[in-house]
Amino acid sequence: MIEGYFRMLVAHTTFPAYSHARTESPALPAVPKQPIRAEAAIASEADIRSGLTENLARLWRYGLVLSHQRDVADDLVQATCVRALERADQFAAGTRLDRWLFSILHSIWLNEIRARRVRQGQGFVDADETLILDGARDTETHVMANQVLKQVNTLPDAQRSAVFLAYVEGLSYREVASVMDVPIGTVMSRLAAARAKLSETVSAGGFE
Amino acid sequence: MSTKHRMPSDEELTAFIDGELGAEEAARIETMVEADEAVAERLEFLARASLAYKEAFAPLLDAAPRAKLEAMLSAIPAAQPARPAAFVSRRGFLGALAASVVAGIAVDRAMIGVGTSFSRKDENSEWRAVVAEYISLYTPETLAGPVPPRDVQAAQLASLDGNLGLQLSPEQVALPDIDFKRAQILQYDGKPLAQIAYLDPETGPMALCIVTSDGGPKAPDVEGRKGMNVVYWANATHAFMLIGHAPVDRMTEIADAVRSKISV
Repeated sequence: MIEGYFRMLVAHTTFPAYSHARTESPALPAVPKQPIRAEAAIASEADIRSGLTENLARLWRYGLVLSHQRDVADDLVQATCVRALERADQFAAGTRLDRWLFSILHSIWLNEIRARRVRQGQGFVDADETLILDGARDTETHVMANQVLKQVNTLPDAQRSAVFLAYVEGLSYREVASVMDVPIGTVMSRLAAARAKLSETVSAGGFE
Repeated sequence: MSTKHRMPSDEELTAFIDGELGAEEAARIETMVEADEAVAERLEFLARASLAYKEAFAPLLDAAPRAKLEAMLSAIPAAQPARPAAFVSRRGFLGALAASVVAGIAVDRAMIGVGTSFSRKDENSEWRAVVAEYISLYTPETLAGPVPPRDVQAAQLASLDGNLGLQLSPEQVALPDIDFKRAQILQYDGKPLAQIAYLDPETGPMALCIVTSDGGPKAPDVEGRKGMNVVYWANATHAFMLIGHAPVDRMTEIADAVRSKISV
């Protein structure tokens, strides 16, 4: 049953492991020839990876808010992961990783995916179809939540993103500006316009 | 309206509501609100849009396909050079997502389903490599939080039954001195893979993973993967692997306890 015993050196840990010689030849640790810089890059890639793992659901949600489509949200998260890992060395240590990831996702959406879909002439599905919570129409809380979702989704794209980032994700104006890559004044006017519109709906009894 | 020229903009009022103005600016707006009915009305109007946004969008977090996304992330090859040969030749998993990859991201190295390998003897180790890759991303924080109560555990385990045809009770999968954290179904090129995650207070994340298998029964064996120890075995219908950071002796002991409780 146990056919071999190897003491393997993996990463920085020495651990004993019985190994099935036929299926797994122990990876002999290559003499590290990489320059020290590469080591640092690897460590930071691991950090980015774990940061990505923690933020997958939030990134996906932002992707859904932007695109209204689950499959596009999947794509956006994947592309964001790939891009973030590629650019791990560009992440400024000490800053908020989630903000950085939102920026990447936003830029991919704006520059690549949305552009591609527009070129292909694919229309977007109605926001109501994807964002409304299935099977959650019973309780008052859910009715209210769905109303809020619905109203936010009727906002123009730029206002919707700003509202989501500021009021759902709790980013400061400055952080929203950085994610959306626009001046802070633009964020203010988008939020003000969104508030005016939403207040109008509330006042008109749109949240019955 | 005579007050029009003194009316702060919607931008200013919005920033005031959102607490984004400096102390001086905020004081200026406050003074105007107190002095001018029209300003107060406009402020009140804009404040009506202070809705329960966080709560409204919270369910969308639950709607995220976490397992799929996690699997996708772990399928993205590390950029580091000079990977050991075993990993260069390892064919990744979850090619499904690659079909819709944007902007020429080459994930082909991570493609080719693992599904077909489940039934082939020589490649039976493939899924364990994939699981090891995945579990190696876990930290104790990944599994932080309280141990779910028994009924929640039972409900989670029930989902395994539907997907894998495996009826398990919380008692059967309980490990000695190790906390049950969650049971979930991951998907793998259309094939269900059950993952029961635990947190060992001493050594960190541990998992019992199960797939359907028609490779026939197999006695337990031990191997090392990704700096962790793996005990794997199979019965007539399923293949099992217990993976964790505990020493081999302890892993074997735990695996034996599991095997005695899950009919082989």
